[in-house]
Amino acid sequence: MKVFICNGTPQCFFTAVFDAYRETECIISSASVQIPLGGTVETVFADLEKSRRVQAKINAYDGEAVDDISLVLRSCSPLKEQVAFEYIKEIMRRKTAVKKAFNLPQVVDFNDLLYKITGETHQFKGFIRFMECANGVLYAPYSPDNNITDLLMPHFAARLGELKFVIHDVKRGIAGIHNGKEWILGYAGATEIMLSDDERGFGTLWKKYYKSVNVSERPHERQMKRSMPVRYWKFLPEKQN
Amino acid sequence: MLNAEKLEILTESAKYDVSCSSSGSNRVNGHGGLGNASVGGICHSFTPDGRCISLLKILMSNECVFDCEYCPNRRNADVRRASITPEEICELVMGFYKRNYIEGLFLSSAVFKSPDATMELLCETVRKLRQEYKFNGYIHLKGIPHADEALVFKAAKLVDRMSYNVELPSERSLKMLAPQKTKSSLLLPMKDLRDAIIYDKENKVRRNRTLPAGQTTQMIIGASSETDGQILKLSEALYRSMNLRRVYYSSYIPVVQSEKLPAVGAGLLREHRLYQADWLIRYYGFDVDEIVGEGENLSPEYDPKCAWALRNMHLFPVEINKVPLNVLLRVPGIGAKSAYKIIEARRFAPLDFDNLAKMRVVLKRARHFITCKGKFYGSEGLTQIRTSLLLAGQSEVSEQMSMFSESSVALSALTGEV
Ligand code: SF4
Repeated sequence: MKVFICNGTPQCFFTAVFDAYRETECIISSASVQIPLGGTVETVFADLEKSRRVQAKINAYDGEAVDDISLVLRSCSPLKEQVAFEYIKEIMRRKTAVKKAFNLPQVVDFNDLLYKITGETHQFKGFIRFMECANGVLYAPYSPDNNITDLLMPHFAARLGELKFVIHDVKRGIAGIHNGKEWILGYAGATEIMLSDDERGFGTLWKKYYKSVNVSERPHERQMKRSMPVRYWKFLPEKQN
Repeated sequence: MLNAEKLEILTESAKYDVSCSSSGSNRVNGHGGLGNASVGGICHSFTPDGRCISLLKILMSNECVFDCEYCPNRRNADVRRASITPEEICELVMGFYKRNYIEGLFLSSAVFKSPDATMELLCETVRKLRQEYKFNGYIHLKGIPHADEALVFKAAKLVDRMSYNVELPSERSLKMLAPQKTKSSLLLPMKDLRDAIIYDKENKVRRNRTLPAGQTTQMIIGASSETDGQILKLSEALYRSMNLRRVYYSSYIPVVQSEKLPAVGAGLLREHRLYQADWLIRYYGFDVDEIVGEGENLSPEYDPKCAWALRNMHLFPVEINKVPLNVLLRVPGIGAKSAYKIIEARRFAPLDFDNLAKMRVVLKRARHFITCKGKFYGSEGLTQIRTSLLLAGQSEVSEQMSMFSESSVALSALTGEV
């Protein structure tokens, strides 16, 4: 059994697929894995040509698969590369798109990860909370399960128009920065911000609103927690005392 | 900045209105503007009652000249009163929206002074928000009965959705409990707006289209004596004749003491069953008559699809690998998402029971009504099936019963489930 170790980027993953394809039994991973008894390890370095060829081959059978795979590679699951690899093998074996073959376990696993990414992206379109800084920039720290910051940026760029804003994934140290016209993705560590004069006031009004709009005669905390998991509360002002 | 107590009063007065979804519009942001709309709707937070906060739901004023029996804000009630100005609303919306607290505004009002005066101020508020503040987020405006139609049309060009609430499921109850709101004062503007929407569609109007997210309505369940059959007949008629996007049901909560009103609220279960039946009518091709007779109520024990299937056992079991979508959708326990998965997956290979389980099709109920490759996995005999369905139902009711399940709807829209 061979274990291909890659660095987490899509290019490196597709290179690993190229190298791993002829092996009968192998694992691709970017996480620290337990090496099976008698297994060998191969560290993969991204090779653009190999990566391109793998993608072209996938594209020939399914025009959407490469995009879907890139999404899945953002997952926080340590199995993401392996799940994506099994999915690619299934496309190659059947020489057609398998996205809707919901009966295949490889497809079930792949779609599970995919829906977690698209689902979390959708949720954070709602759960992102901006604070207004003294210089007018809107700043939103958050800590999503998956690496989705650049998936959120186009949504907020369209919505906030000419406003400047930053969405900061504090766990990964990644920030999407919008200057009022265009956005880029960069690395960002701990930040200090000065809040605008209005910030506290709007925060207070929002908390007041949150409390007043609740129908207290009909508590249903479980439903609330299912829709808005507790791990997301840290950055929601309405859930702070 | 707005005074917090005012916000509290005007939110508490608005909170029982349940039509708060932000879906159905694809308004885009303009130059120098703030906001756009997202077709599937977005939930921004969830309150401890399990409901989603999408829009800032607020009354312009809770001072009312009307006298609706069930309403804490009616004319002579002794409650804290407050009003806010168009500017105050605009600033609040902009401040909240910018911070991504909300998806937009749901603006409503009690009838202060007169219907026209109220509608005029509502109209002025949304005009200001759109034109001066360049706000392009979602706006849902409640229509004021008896207001001048020119004002109504003007507002309809500025907002995404409007609703005239029918309030009660019959004219008789309306007369008794909301004497100033006549049937025609609610249905005529609804009809006018329907015609305006159709006109814009037929003439391919693109700028300032009338109500891109259409109209909805709401009625209170259990404050008056109508049966579920009557209620659903009315909904069906409203969907068909008024092209409504949605009818909301709000089970009565006794906040006001009155001889004309029941002392206890209608349970959530009844509301839940009505939403399930409503769903069957809108998406699964059922007629009301198939689900419940005019003088009857929905079964509390079984969900409406189960109840229908139990009355129609001669149609089952159906073969999962053969039947078309519309038949699949009639199998208890198989929803749109599962039906879609089955239809797609069976193109690749015939499905057996095990496949269905792995695809996460919930089989608790469905197994009594299907065969997989000719094999039946359900209970033999109607009595056993009934018992088994009852048990499946009990665990589910407490699980699923959310007030308005808006979030699950929004979530299924985003994952592309049909
Ligand atoms: S019109 Fe009726 S329901 Fe609306 S605020 Fe006035 S009394 Fe209440």
